[in-house]
Amino acid sequence: MKLPSEIPAEHNSNIMTPENRSLGFEFRGDGMEYFKIWIVNILLTIVTLGIYSAWAKVRNNRYFYSNLYLENDNFRYLADPISILKGRLIAVAALIGYYILSLFLPIVAGFLALVLVFSIPYFINQSMGFNHRMSSYKNIQFRFKGSYGQAFMVIYVWPILGILTLGILYPLALLKANEYFVRNSAYGTSKFDFNATYKDYGMIFLTAIGISIAVGFPIALIAYFVPAFTVVSSLLYIVIYFAVIIYIVVSFTNIFYASLSLIEHKFEASLTIAGTAKVILINLFLTMITLGLYLPVAKVRMTKYICSCLIMHTSGSLDNFSAAEKENISALGEEFGQIFSFA
Amino acid sequence: MLIEGTYLDGKTSKRHNARLEVNNDHKITAIHLTEQQTILSFKHQFYVVESRLGNTPREIIFDDEQLFVCDNHDEIDKLITWYTNSPSHKHSWLYNLENNSKLIYISTIAIVILLYGIVVHGIPSTAKLMAHNVPYFTSTKIFSSLDILDETVFEPSTLPVKRQQDIRALVAPYLSSYQSLQPRLEFRSGMKANALALPNGVIVFTDDFINLIQTDDEIIAVLFHELGHLTQKHMTQRMIQDAMLTIMVVFITGDVETFDLVTGLPTLLLDLTYSREFETQADTYALTLLNKHDIPLQSFVDAMQNLENYYLKENEGKAHSAMNDFFSTHPKISERILLVEQF
Repeated sequence: MKLPSEIPAEHNSNIMTPENRSLGFEFRGDGMEYFKIWIVNILLTIVTLGIYSAWAKVRNNRYFYSNLYLENDNFRYLADPISILKGRLIAVAALIGYYILSLFLPIVAGFLALVLVFSIPYFINQSMGFNHRMSSYKNIQFRFKGSYGQAFMVIYVWPILGILTLGILYPLALLKANEYFVRNSAYGTSKFDFNATYKDYGMIFLTAIGISIAVGFPIALIAYFVPAFTVVSSLLYIVIYFAVIIYIVVSFTNIFYASLSLIEHKFEASLTIAGTAKVILINLFLTMITLGLYLPVAKVRMTKYICSCLIMHTSGSLDNFSAAEKENISALGEEFGQIFSFA
Repeated sequence: MLIEGTYLDGKTSKRHNARLEVNNDHKITAIHLTEQQTILSFKHQFYVVESRLGNTPREIIFDDEQLFVCDNHDEIDKLITWYTNSPSHKHSWLYNLENNSKLIYISTIAIVILLYGIVVHGIPSTAKLMAHNVPYFTSTKIFSSLDILDETVFEPSTLPVKRQQDIRALVAPYLSSYQSLQPRLEFRSGMKANALALPNGVIVFTDDFINLIQTDDEIIAVLFHELGHLTQKHMTQRMIQDAMLTIMVVFITGDVETFDLVTGLPTLLLDLTYSREFETQADTYALTLLNKHDIPLQSFVDAMQNLENYYLKENEGKAHSAMNDFFSTHPKISERILLVEQF
C-alpha cells in the first residue's frame, strides 16, 4: 500500500501561514569517530589493492552527509559503491593509458589531451549531475542539469577573457561560474537561484589588492632601507599572503550564500577571518606534525566550523518540496574528474 | 513490537512521525503514521537496511524510495539478522571494525609503516620494473622532448664549432658502447650551467656548463652521470612513479577535499626525494664507469666543485636556506662529494 498522494488537509494550513524562521546548519560528526572510519577505509583500501576505495568513498561521504542536520533532519549520500568502482576503474585505466602514450607516442597523447580539454565540460556536468542526484535531504534528491555550451563558456571562455583583460573581467568569470552552478541546481523540482553582482565580486578583489598594497608597500620600503629587516619582512609577506587568501575565501563564501536562494528561502553565511584562520592554522599544524594522520579530524573541524556559520532563513515550511523525475547518471564523470583532477 | 522513528515518502519533503511495526520473526510488517493515524502495510515487501555508521541515524529504504529513519540500532540490527538470513555482522562488520580500538591502534601503526614501505620501496621498484620492461619505441621522435625544450627554453649553442667537434670526438669512444640507447650529444644555450639526458637518448650540455668545465675528464665524468640516467631509465621511471603517487594520494585522502597544501606538498616533496635518489644512483654509476676507464674520481669532484662555484656566483647575495635543500631536485654538492670519498 502506498501513501495517499494527496496531502492531508491539516498539512495545507502550513502553506497558508508561512513561518519565517532562521534555521542553523549543524554538523554532528566527531573527529575521533571519523578518524576510525578513515583509518579502516585506508586499511581495507590497501589490503584490497585499491578496490575498496570505492566503498571507502561512499562511507566517507555518508558520514559527512548523514551528520549534516537542518531542522533536525539529516542529509544523505546515496551513491552505490559498485557504480563508483566502475567509473574509477575506467578513469584509472585511462590515466595509465594516457601516461604510457605520452611516453611513447607523444603525438597521439597530444591529440588525446586535446580531446580531454573538450570533454572536460561534459565530464564536469556529469560529475555534478551525479553528485547532486546522490545527495538528498528529507528524502528528496538534488538535481543538476547544465548544458555543454554553458559549461564550456564558464570553464574556458570567461576565465580566458578574464586573463586577456588583465583580470578586470576575472570577477565576472567567477560570478558566471557560480551562477552556472547554482541556477542549474535544484532541490527536487525547486530550482536554486543566485543573484550576486559583478560589483560584489569585484569589490572583494579590489579590497584584497588594496590590503596587499597598503600593508606590503611600507614593509618593502622598510626592508629597502633597513637590510636587517629582510628576514622579518619575508615572514611578514607570508603572513599577509595567508591573510589575504583567507579574506578572499571567507568573503566569497559569505557572498555565495547571501546570494543563494531556493524559491522564497534565503541563506546566510557568517564566516569570519579570525575564525577561519584559527581553524586552518590548527589543522595545518596538527596535520603536519602527525604526518597526515590528523587529516580526518581536520576535515571534521573545518566542516563543523563552516556549518556553524551557515543559516537558512525560511519563509514558510520546508515540507512542501517535491521529488524530481528519476534519472540515471553514471559515476564516470565524477571519477574522471577526480583522477585527472579537474573537477 | 513498534520502533519509533520518522517516515518520509520520497515524493515530498514532509516528515512524518512514525512507528515501525515488527513481528516476532523480526520482519517488518507495517509503518504506523502517528499523526495521520494511517497504517502502511509492508508485508512481503523488499527493503534495504543501511549499514551502521558512526553516530548517524539508521535508515531503512523501501520501494519507491520510501524511507524510515530511527536511532534504535539494537532493534534494527536484529531485524537484519532475520531478514537476510545471514549473521548480523554481515552488515555491521565494518561498524565493528571501526569500533575495535585495538584494531584501530594496530592499523594506524601498520598503515604508517605500510605507506612508508610503499613509498620508499614499493613504488620505486615497481616503477623500475615497468620502466625497464616497456617496449622501447624508436619512432623517429617527430615530437620529441628536445623539440619541446627547443621551442620553450633552449636557444642554439654559441660555442665555437671547433670546440663542439672536439667534445664530440672526445665522448664518441665512450658512447660507442651504448648503441642500444642511441645516445646523441647536443649543445644548447638559454639555460644556466646544466647537463641533461632525455629518454630518447639525447644528452644536452649547455654552453655555460661547457665554459665552466676545466678538463676533459670532467666532461667525461658528467657524461657518465647522464649515461647513468639513461641506462637506468630514470626519466621514464620518475613519470611512472609520479603517476602512481597521484593515484595513491587520490585513493587515500579519498574524497577529503582539503586545501591542496595538505596533500600537494607531501606529493611534491616525495617526487623531489625520488629525484634526488635518481641523482645519487647516476652519481654512483658515473663513479663506477670512471674507475673502469681509469679516470681519476677527482674529475667528478672537480666538476661538482665548479658547478657549486658557478651557482654560488649566480645566486650571490641570496641567502641559502635549509629550505632549499628540501625543495631541491638534486642532492647537495657536499653530499655528492662525500659520496665520492666513500666510494
